[in-house]
Amino acid sequence: MTTTTSAPALPRFRTRAARPWGLHVALLLTAWFAVSALWPGLLAPGDPLELHLDSALAAPGPHHLLGTDEAGRDLYSRIVHGTAPALAIGFGASLVSLALALLLGGLAALAARPVASVVDRVVEVLFSFPSLLLALLLVALLGQSALTEAVAVGVGTAPGYARMIRGQILATKSSPYVEAAVTLGHSRTRILRQHVLPNAVRPLVAVFALSVGQSIVWASSLSFLGLGVAPPSSEWGALLDAGRLYLTHAWWLTIVPGLVIVVLALTATTLGKHLQASLERNDR
Amino acid sequence: MPSRPPRTPSDGRPRPGRRPRRTPRALAATAALTVLLAGCAGSGGRAVQPAADAKPLTGGTIVYGHQQEPACVFGGWIEQAYLSTQVLDDLTSLDTDGRAVPWLAQSWQTSADGLTWTFDLKRGVEFTDGTPLTAAAVAYNVDYWMNGGNSTAQVWLGGYYESATALDDHTLQLHLSRPYPRLDVTLAQGYFGIQSQHALETRSAQENCEAPIGSGAFTVDHWDRGQEIVLLKNPDYTSWPANSQHAGPAYVDRIDWRFVSNPTTRVASLRAGETDAIYDVPAVDYAAVGADGFQELKHVTKGRPQQLSFNTVAGPFTDESVRKAFAYSLDRRKLVETIGQGVIPYEGNGAVSRSTPGYSQAAADTYDHDLPKAIALLEAAGWDAVDEEGYRTKDGKRLTVRLPYNSGTIIDADGAAILQGVQQEARAAGFEVDLIPVPPSGFFGGAYSKPAERDIAAGYWTSVTAGILYVNWRQNLEATPNYSNAAFYNDPVLEDLILQANSTADVDAQNALYGRAQEYIADHALSIGLFDRLSTLAVSPRLKGVWQENAQGGPVFHDAHFVD
Repeated sequence: MTTTTSAPALPRFRTRAARPWGLHVALLLTAWFAVSALWPGLLAPGDPLELHLDSALAAPGPHHLLGTDEAGRDLYSRIVHGTAPALAIGFGASLVSLALALLLGGLAALAARPVASVVDRVVEVLFSFPSLLLALLLVALLGQSALTEAVAVGVGTAPGYARMIRGQILATKSSPYVEAAVTLGHSRTRILRQHVLPNAVRPLVAVFALSVGQSIVWASSLSFLGLGVAPPSSEWGALLDAGRLYLTHAWWLTIVPGLVIVVLALTATTLGKHLQASLERNDR
Repeated sequence: MPSRPPRTPSDGRPRPGRRPRRTPRALAATAALTVLLAGCAGSGGRAVQPAADAKPLTGGTIVYGHQQEPACVFGGWIEQAYLSTQVLDDLTSLDTDGRAVPWLAQSWQTSADGLTWTFDLKRGVEFTDGTPLTAAAVAYNVDYWMNGGNSTAQVWLGGYYESATALDDHTLQLHLSRPYPRLDVTLAQGYFGIQSQHALETRSAQENCEAPIGSGAFTVDHWDRGQEIVLLKNPDYTSWPANSQHAGPAYVDRIDWRFVSNPTTRVASLRAGETDAIYDVPAVDYAAVGADGFQELKHVTKGRPQQLSFNTVAGPFTDESVRKAFAYSLDRRKLVETIGQGVIPYEGNGAVSRSTPGYSQAAADTYDHDLPKAIALLEAAGWDAVDEEGYRTKDGKRLTVRLPYNSGTIIDADGAAILQGVQQEARAAGFEVDLIPVPPSGFFGGAYSKPAERDIAAGYWTSVTAGILYVNWRQNLEATPNYSNAAFYNDPVLEDLILQANSTADVDAQNALYGRAQEYIADHALSIGLFDRLSTLAVSPRLKGVWQENAQGGPVFHDAHFVD
């Protein structure tokens, strides 16, 4: 009996390790995002919502590093103070998504055939809705808030992960070491606890890191559509939405929040890939 | 090409009025690309100017980009009035001096007691279903409005209207219970459009909603919900108003009245030549669009401006001192002038806008920004403690006020930014303002309409006279409910003042009474103004003759024509 046979093949991301400098940059950025989220006052002491009406729509410069918006609010301060809600929504949505995916994927793979069949159909129905549409429906039903946004994004992205987990569990179930455990007469519960679930769930650590970035992009999309956190929140998608009215006059109001969202998503993706590669190396 | 003049078939170019249709999706994509290019190149999208001796053309299709899509063409919302005035004629029109001029009524007079109005209708007018315009049909329309056919017409005339009588085919009498000397100008609003009685009686409500039958310059061809309404020229139009710029049917064949809700996309569509005219130019784009050679029209709508009404029956604003403290805590002028880019006019008067006859400057000037005074008022009112976040408290309860607003329709993007400024400025005095954007469906469905649900109501209500005070401040009593009384303020003194004004024939005396009512509202801090509601248009230089009707600032396309 062993649990050290070859690691599960999913998820199938490109596993070529990024160059170390990429990881180093990602770690530095992670540190910056962490400080921004936990102690925003250290990086931006001012009130992010304070009005500077005499400096409205000021371009980036020495007084306002990233410029100001139509009411003179400092964009740098708002970006820093917007990190916490962005990360909270990203992590929250990923937790919701993976929890739901574990439940649905686990049932689809392990439950009795009638139950598994029903769960499969449910996942297929959820699949038939575009994720954004599903998220829009939930926001419309539950109202606008950070919590709703996290739940909406989580539910919207869960079907894909549910499919992945189902496949992962089925692949593990048919692996030689599980067959060996069955032959040895181990109980179903023991096999599940000791062999199937640990091997099926381990790759999810990397998937979680990847999904944080994806969730932040989804949540920002909802905010951009005016369905996210209510203004004047400094949540990045909301900043992006507010800035589009000034697109041709104050580029920084859209370009900067957009870039920050991209950078955070890339950072999370880079860390996730490295984590995945690391796990795969350990499994070999 | 910025516009679509008709082409002759022989020149190998497109035929008039039948250019390739571009869907809103294509329009949005083109617009987005234009935005990006414009962003890269600075302002971009300069309008191509026609030659000085360019000849006027007949025919063609105007593509007009409008902001908001109503549920029906005819109804009680200004967005419906803008549409329905293309299709329906009123009894009167409003000239630039604010006087009523003939439209379907060629003349009118009032009885000595002011209780009977007699209208003499134009002869030979037909609705587009072929039925004639008669006094009986107009009387039917008035009863239709008052029975719920138009909610706004109903609240205007409710309490005054008694009956309508057709004396003969062309003579109509309206009987009132109290004198209403400004009735003729009131009827110039789009809410009072006259429809075919035959159509109202024989067609379904849905048919009359989507394509009402009137005698106007255009007819509704079809409505693609979420995209556009197509209006076709009425070639038999005979009933243009006296202030029309030409006699005869419209010059253009068709209007594609498109709904482009995103303001940036709207402006980009004009620059790209995808639209010939657009509504509601964002303040930030206003100067650049004009500088790039597009014609701009701006109308400050009369009536209630964009304002904040305080809940006087529940919550912290039941205390007049707290209402005044809120007013003093705001530098409203600077907020509006900064965010409004100098385009949106600041309005201190919460009762009526500066373009309204009888406007009181004294009411507008009641509350200047005075933060120490705001704080002193709050402390005197018992809100003398401050919590760790800087908000005032009383008996351990934070001074939190809820401000829901209809996001995207009643309050546009500029308005939302101004409300965020209000939230931040009031915070300096210790108010925690809970801004709640409400989707239009929820708002029009009655969300946040009860006293327990809100502390401040934001919004406007356009009109042509200060008679709007009657709509907004008449008491909300069980026997005579008034759901438009946003402050829930029942005061017989204020109501009597407004009723006196409404029935005073002498204009100066009437304006003095309306002024006193505005000052009463300001003195008790029942409502404070923010900014005047604008109706703005930007028009391609190759489209001439577009003007804004004087009642509500809607676009008039009857006189519009392309030039070569």
